[in-house]
Amino acid sequence: MQDLSIPIAAHISLQRLLIGYFISLVIGLLLGVLIDRIKYLDEALSPLLLGVQTLPSICWLPLAVLWFGLGEEAIIFVIAIGSIFSISMSVVSGIKNVPPLYIKAAKTMGAKGLRRYTSVTIPAAFPSIISGMKQSWSFAWRALMAGELLTPTSGLGYVLIMGRDLHDMNQVVGIMFVIVVMGLLIDRLVFGRMEHAVLYRWGLTKG
Amino acid sequence: MLEISNICKVFKTKNGTTYALQDVHLNIKKGEFVVLVGPSGCGKSTLLSIIAGLERATSGEICKEGRPILDAGPDRMVMFQEAALFPWLKIIDNVEYGMKIKGISKQERREKAMYYLRMVHLTRFAAAYPHELSIGMRQRVALARSLAMDSDVLLMDEPFAALDSQTKNILHTELQQIWGATKKTIIFVTHNVEEAVLLADRVVVMTANPGRIKKEFRVQLGRPRNIEDIDLTRIVGQILSELKEEVEKVAKEELDSDWCLKSNSFVSRPDTNLGNGI
Repeated sequence: MQDLSIPIAAHISLQRLLIGYFISLVIGLLLGVLIDRIKYLDEALSPLLLGVQTLPSICWLPLAVLWFGLGEEAIIFVIAIGSIFSISMSVVSGIKNVPPLYIKAAKTMGAKGLRRYTSVTIPAAFPSIISGMKQSWSFAWRALMAGELLTPTSGLGYVLIMGRDLHDMNQVVGIMFVIVVMGLLIDRLVFGRMEHAVLYRWGLTKG
Repeated sequence: MLEISNICKVFKTKNGTTYALQDVHLNIKKGEFVVLVGPSGCGKSTLLSIIAGLERATSGEICKEGRPILDAGPDRMVMFQEAALFPWLKIIDNVEYGMKIKGISKQERREKAMYYLRMVHLTRFAAAYPHELSIGMRQRVALARSLAMDSDVLLMDEPFAALDSQTKNILHTELQQIWGATKKTIIFVTHNVEEAVLLADRVVVMTANPGRIKKEFRVQLGRPRNIEDIDLTRIVGQILSELKEEVEKVAKEELDSDWCLKSNSFVSRPDTNLGNGI
């Protein structure tokens, strides 16, 4: 009989990861833009963000379990909270480092307000935003594993901890291997391509 | 068409206040090619930024056709020393960007962008990205982008300063042709006096500390002009002698107090000094 526990666990884990990451992407981008637009928010939140980012996301798990109960939502919350801040910080620093010349050029061509923001400021900050997205993707993986190891539900982390309980090191190493392969594939297929496209347009690729 | 009156610009820094511009008056007629020259720090670029609406004057007013300039706008296009093309857009989209903001239909703006790319001879690179072009070509695209906006005023802030001299010569000729064909009012900032006389109807010489207008020269020579033309060289000489004391003044402020420019003095070379040691 075929054992489908790894594909099933991988499917569940990936689903959680994508939902959590998507939430963190949306909130992180919004938060970054808000911090950039509103000076009070920048002064109040920027130092705090740096501090919160050093906090391992798993520290949020006890609170998450209290708020959402032992289950899906708690893990997704931990994933999201782990990657939001690195995305918003990359947005803020990316926007701060946009060459003023681009903004000047856009101004003289009559681009104003939101239009200028979306058509010049954000695209110009894109290289930095992508590296933030990449970094937060790995944060999301870590948060996912921590969450699954500590809450007895399902997913790759749960299968891993089961391997430990059964002293089945083949299973443990197998899961580790699966995680590495998945990470590699997604980096190649998604982030690698995005990064390459941006680097090519900016003229930063070699050869 | 442009009335610049009483413009002052003061920068406050830790080392005190700097008068970048003081009581600048200048009237520019429609279709005129005015070049501002002056030593570094005379505020010529600042004046251009104020006309563009990118900076605010501390006091004074600039009116375009009777209306005061308060903000940057597509009626006064600016060309910078760097092309300032957006790296994430193809050349054609860069040229179209301003028209897109203006709300011109896709078909029309594509046609117009191609027309102006043809004018600067770069249609082959319409689908390329800016980094694939040389600096001179990028500057051509920037020119096409500015022209495509159909502004009546074109402000140029040392647009050819970073180019090699061959490319610069070609662009000088082409700019004169384009100016003749489009009848734009051009205000051009440079520190190169030859470039100024080659291009200008009127050369405005500025001085530093405080930045103000020192003298104006009308250049009434036929076009196209040649850099080797004897009349042109004569005017260049006049302007240079006017500028010389200004340049020295600035250098004296920046360098140690013992500095002075020894002009017309004999250049002594120790290895050819025949009578030495006798």
